[in-house]
Amino acid sequence: MFASVPSAVLFCAEGHLIHVEVQVAAGLPGFSLVGLPDMSIRESRDRARAAVTSSGYPWPKHKITVNLAPSGDRKAGSGLDLAIAIGVLAASDVIAPEAIEGIAFIGELGLDGSLRPVVGVVPMVGAIGERDVVVPIASATEAHVVALGRVRLVANLVELVEALRREAPWPDHDVADRPAPILRTFPDLADVQGQPIARHALEIAAAGGHHTLFIGPPGSGKTMLATRLPGLLPPLERSKALEVTMLHSAAGIALPPGGLVSEPPFRAPHHTSSQVSLVGGGSQVIRPGEVSIAHCGVLFLDELAEFAPSVLDGLRQPLELRSARVDRVDIRKLLPADFLLVAAMNPCPCGGGAPGACMCGDAVLHRYARRVSGPLLDRFDLRVAVHRPAVDDLLVNEPGESSAVVAARVLVARRLATERQGCLNSALEVRHLDDVARLDTGSTALLRHELEHDRLSGRGYHRIRRVARTIADLRGHLEPGVDEQDVAMALRFRATFARSMPTGRVA
Amino acid sequence: MIAPAGFVASLAGFERITVARLTGLLAHRTPEQAFAIATGACSPPEPFATLFRREPDLASAWQRAGVKRPPDEIWQQCVAAGVHVVMAGDAGYPAALLDDPRRPAALFVRGDLGVLDARRVGIVGTRNATQRGRETAARFGYELAAEGVVVVSGLAKGIDGAAHRGALAVDGAHPVAVVGTGPDRPYPAQHAQLWERVAERGALISEWPPGTGPDAFRFPLRNRILAALVEVLVVVESRERGGSLITAREAAERGVEVFAVPGALQSRAALGTNKLLCDGAAPATETADVLMALGLDRRRAGRSRHDPRSLPSAADRRLIEACRPAPQTLETLSECCGASLVDTAMAVARLEHAGWLRETAGWFEAIHDWADLA
Repeated sequence: MFASVPSAVLFCAEGHLIHVEVQVAAGLPGFSLVGLPDMSIRESRDRARAAVTSSGYPWPKHKITVNLAPSGDRKAGSGLDLAIAIGVLAASDVIAPEAIEGIAFIGELGLDGSLRPVVGVVPMVGAIGERDVVVPIASATEAHVVALGRVRLVANLVELVEALRREAPWPDHDVADRPAPILRTFPDLADVQGQPIARHALEIAAAGGHHTLFIGPPGSGKTMLATRLPGLLPPLERSKALEVTMLHSAAGIALPPGGLVSEPPFRAPHHTSSQVSLVGGGSQVIRPGEVSIAHCGVLFLDELAEFAPSVLDGLRQPLELRSARVDRVDIRKLLPADFLLVAAMNPCPCGGGAPGACMCGDAVLHRYARRVSGPLLDRFDLRVAVHRPAVDDLLVNEPGESSAVVAARVLVARRLATERQGCLNSALEVRHLDDVARLDTGSTALLRHELEHDRLSGRGYHRIRRVARTIADLRGHLEPGVDEQDVAMALRFRATFARSMPTGRVA
Repeated sequence: MIAPAGFVASLAGFERITVARLTGLLAHRTPEQAFAIATGACSPPEPFATLFRREPDLASAWQRAGVKRPPDEIWQQCVAAGVHVVMAGDAGYPAALLDDPRRPAALFVRGDLGVLDARRVGIVGTRNATQRGRETAARFGYELAAEGVVVVSGLAKGIDGAAHRGALAVDGAHPVAVVGTGPDRPYPAQHAQLWERVAERGALISEWPPGTGPDAFRFPLRNRILAALVEVLVVVESRERGGSLITAREAAERGVEVFAVPGALQSRAALGTNKLLCDGAAPATETADVLMALGLDRRRAGRSRHDPRSLPSAADRRLIEACRPAPQTLETLSECCGASLVDTAMAVARLEHAGWLRETAGWFEAIHDWADLA
């Protein structure tokens, strides 16, 4: 007797439709599982068997063959448990084969027959298409985001089998009404006292999609500023939100109450993170890294210089390609990773301050500056020096502009840019710069001086013009050229390190 | 036949050789005999017999050092580096050091010690100097050198280097450097060119033989020689526990008049100099103050150099003035001038362009007309 049960597995951040084919035939009792399963699927046999018997159904005393089709792809994860158990029950006539037609099954089984959630339900349900799908109760929100057919929530195997045998109606585990997406919960920019320059930098970063590095002594509010950035970004469009939701689900991150990740994500990995955790990868299961989880949102690296240099250099390619490449012997995958990078670091190990205040020796400064490679520093369009706020700013409890006000300006500027050139200003190609960021004589003179004094590289020159374009957009300047004031302001966002690089700036 | 100086150069590079030990070894003996005693080639007389008994490992260490530092090879090194050795008894030995209680037994010199016959002023200060401090040092160096005074400094980063650069900018000036490494080992490395120029034009003096690298303990020892060589010492900027305070103390012990350049109260780089002023050092605000102490009252001293920069507008001048006492951020500048951030950003960009301001890590410092030397 034979049964074929649709299910799905997670591969990288994608769901793959899998048909679990079960044959129960005469022969010595035994169980063979084929179709390139990994260890966690091999163990399914024992879980499925225990769950079936402890639910009071017979486990066939025959030769059982389970094939996971397509059988050429490697598969991993415990989400096939339920499909295997149902397949065995259908092939041994406990359930009528017609009863499972058009239904897919996803879930891990406990030995007592209970259903447990698995990681990546969103992409898996997405792969199932228009079939109805049975998922564990805890995966309800994830399944609802993308399901085209009905979503059946089940607590354990008994419930499910009874429903399939029409001995009982489908269980009604309606998880509390899906709440409407709640309003933004990001920390508000109004909490930041003073810091006009840094606030302006955040606005520019959000409006132009410019990667930003905050350099300043401890206690100057770098982290506080960076956490305000996602609140300035517009909510995600539906298509982007789905993409992000898939990635989050695949990475095993709890989804927001509404199921769909509709706000730009904010990720702040610790500086002890490994390269794989940041960029993605893994040996058996390829998991999206922080760069992919921060897709369409903000990746914040606090204490940038404390990250291992090799880990940071792993970021260079994702920054360039806007996606993370994972290459293994038999796997080549491109995971989306279009994120806005915000980083913070001290100007030197002692924390620094005004010129003359630093107590670090030359060698120490050099070692510190070397921890962040030049090519990575070069990727930051904005390098913002943050100073400790003035005492007056701290004591006078006058809230600054709120995130909502700034976000409205950001939205207008982003629309301006995308309507003009189809992309944000940070993605402007060099050949288009002359069309949209033409320099007037005043600004040419300023930049010429910087270039001649070796304080600006060719690449830095283009970056300045992109940033100047964003500044012009933010003040509603529609002309194709940028003014001296835009360039002068853009130059202020290219802070140098104190003395660690005595001869001029990097880029 | 090995030159006697080769033995001295070899001995001076032994580990744990102190000023007292080297002086004791060389007293009333030829360098060759001293070398033989130190390396155990002959039985040591008192007090070295006691010393070796008390520190048996010292005797073996010196024995090994004698093998590792063969005098003929060390002498070749000296010749190759253009270093000559001046011993305490030699005719060329600086007169100012002769009566010093801790005079060095031997000096390793590049250049001409004869320049020390002129009037000598030391200019020292912190390595982590502010732009302002370096400019002041360069100005003092230049103006003193222009008056024919020999500027003595340590060729370190920051104040020292600026003082030397200032002095070298005067044609015919003979700056003198007292360094804490071997005379052939420029430290910091970026001052290599400056070393060469000082050695060519004046003299480069070290207590240590060629090949000696930078060790923390050598710099305070260097400071005592510097203090002993000068008639007046000017401390331009110093931190609370800076090495230049050691120089100032050594100078005070030797009756050398100490001047300190007053600094802003909130500047960490001026904590040491301000403390010196509290302790009775004389304030030096212009070169004439120092010249007066030397008995060279030249009222025309401090003639200003030609400043090629275009004059800023009145509003821009207020920005420059705001940056003079201490570095400022863009925010404070815009506040104190009552202008918007954008206008201030444009103004500072203009002033940076014209060479009046300089930005480091978001801080703006005013540049004086000595910046090219600082």
